[in-house]
Amino acid sequence: MWLWFSKLGSPKWFYELSGKWLPWLVAAMVVFMTVGLVWGLLFLPPDYQQGFTSRILIVHVAVAGTSLAFFPLLLVSGTITLVWRMKLADMVAKNAAILGAWFSFITLATGSLWGSVMWGTWWEWTDSRLVSMLFQLFLLLGVISLRSALEDSETAAKACALLSIVGCINVVIIKYSVEWWNTLHQVSSPVSMDTQSPNGPEFWIATLVMIVAVYLFLSVSLILSTRNEILERERRSQWVQDLVSKS
Amino acid sequence: MSEKQTTTSAAFLATLKRDLLIAFKKKNDIVNPFMFFIIVVSLFPIGISPESDRLTEIAAGVIWISVLLASMLSMDNLYRADFEDGSLEQLLLSPHPLFFLVLAKNISHWLVSGLPVVLVSPLLAYMLALPDEAYLTLVLSLLLGTPIMSLVGSIAVALTVGLGSRGLILAVITLPMSVPVLIFGTLAVQSTLNSQSPLGYLSLMLVMLSVSVSLAPLASAAALKISVN
Repeated sequence: MWLWFSKLGSPKWFYELSGKWLPWLVAAMVVFMTVGLVWGLLFLPPDYQQGFTSRILIVHVAVAGTSLAFFPLLLVSGTITLVWRMKLADMVAKNAAILGAWFSFITLATGSLWGSVMWGTWWEWTDSRLVSMLFQLFLLLGVISLRSALEDSETAAKACALLSIVGCINVVIIKYSVEWWNTLHQVSSPVSMDTQSPNGPEFWIATLVMIVAVYLFLSVSLILSTRNEILERERRSQWVQDLVSKS
Repeated sequence: MSEKQTTTSAAFLATLKRDLLIAFKKKNDIVNPFMFFIIVVSLFPIGISPESDRLTEIAAGVIWISVLLASMLSMDNLYRADFEDGSLEQLLLSPHPLFFLVLAKNISHWLVSGLPVVLVSPLLAYMLALPDEAYLTLVLSLLLGTPIMSLVGSIAVALTVGLGSRGLILAVITLPMSVPVLIFGTLAVQSTLNSQSPLGYLSLMLVMLSVSVSLAPLASAAALKISVN
């Protein structure tokens, strides 16, 4: 078990293994993404209440669900960085923060596209999910800007790991306090988020396909950016130079 | 060599005393955030509306947000001077648990930057036409909330202590983290205004304070060790 663990920490090993996985992951992603998008956005029957707008939700729900995975991911990689000083964990964390910020942004963007039609407003402070997603985005931007401000990469790795752990605890507290804040303040609730109920199974299957597709997309982009990071940071090592001279 | 053993509590008190002494020698660091707070609060009536009805509505939020900004500005010199003159390294090298030394620094920082703001808040609340019955809640919520901000902000300051210019990055990191304190602080005042008991919110803030007293110095200590190698 420990041998496997320390092997996992070696960038070279990860680079070779992920190189083998990548074609399969990309193929699966393309299949799921095409099925999900084409079916979800072009063929799914309109919702009896929301009309064709419900098709936005297919993308939105999948991206939103995925963007909740980023802080746990950062928590795990941050802990590994601080405890075992594993370089690979930091390379993953660096790109996860950037991807997480994009995912949070896309969640907010698709959500307000849907909201502008269904709620009649782009932004609604009374909805706790919007507000806590916004602050998750801010916290992730904080992690990213801390990394870009610190020049020494080892200090940056540890500092960002610590900030990610603190941020992860904080995001949970923010989530619950915002929920409390708005449930007590909510004078009139415009529309609740759970309007996607009696839709028949197609909607759920399409959403599920999209969730798998987005998770695959996340893994592919995380692996690709981590591989890029590995090549950049290990550019002086022998195996990278061999790799470069071969190609 | 005859070495006099010090206890951790003596080290804690010595750090606290030293920081307070430095603060009173350099009064600018105390006065400027305080003035900043008063000026920001007095800009709101000019920018929004001088009518007392509207001011009553926003008073708690205005005071709370100004406190957040002022405490963030004053945080900047929490570890910086010590980092520059090398005494921070001595602190890290000391045999006593860093937890208590960091806690002492945070307490002294709160005493010179948080407490004055809390004490002057009723006056500003009066200027913003906050009804009398909410004064006590406001002061209590600030009394519980400002130490949380000092403790949590200290983590971000410790992480960025080695940076040359860091005013804005500190804001980007700390301000989102202060959302829960802001929510409960203003909710407590609002619920008093709606003649409900603010005790629930105040006790939640007390919980947050005790959690941050016990955990935040740990994170700050770890952050200092990362920043100073």
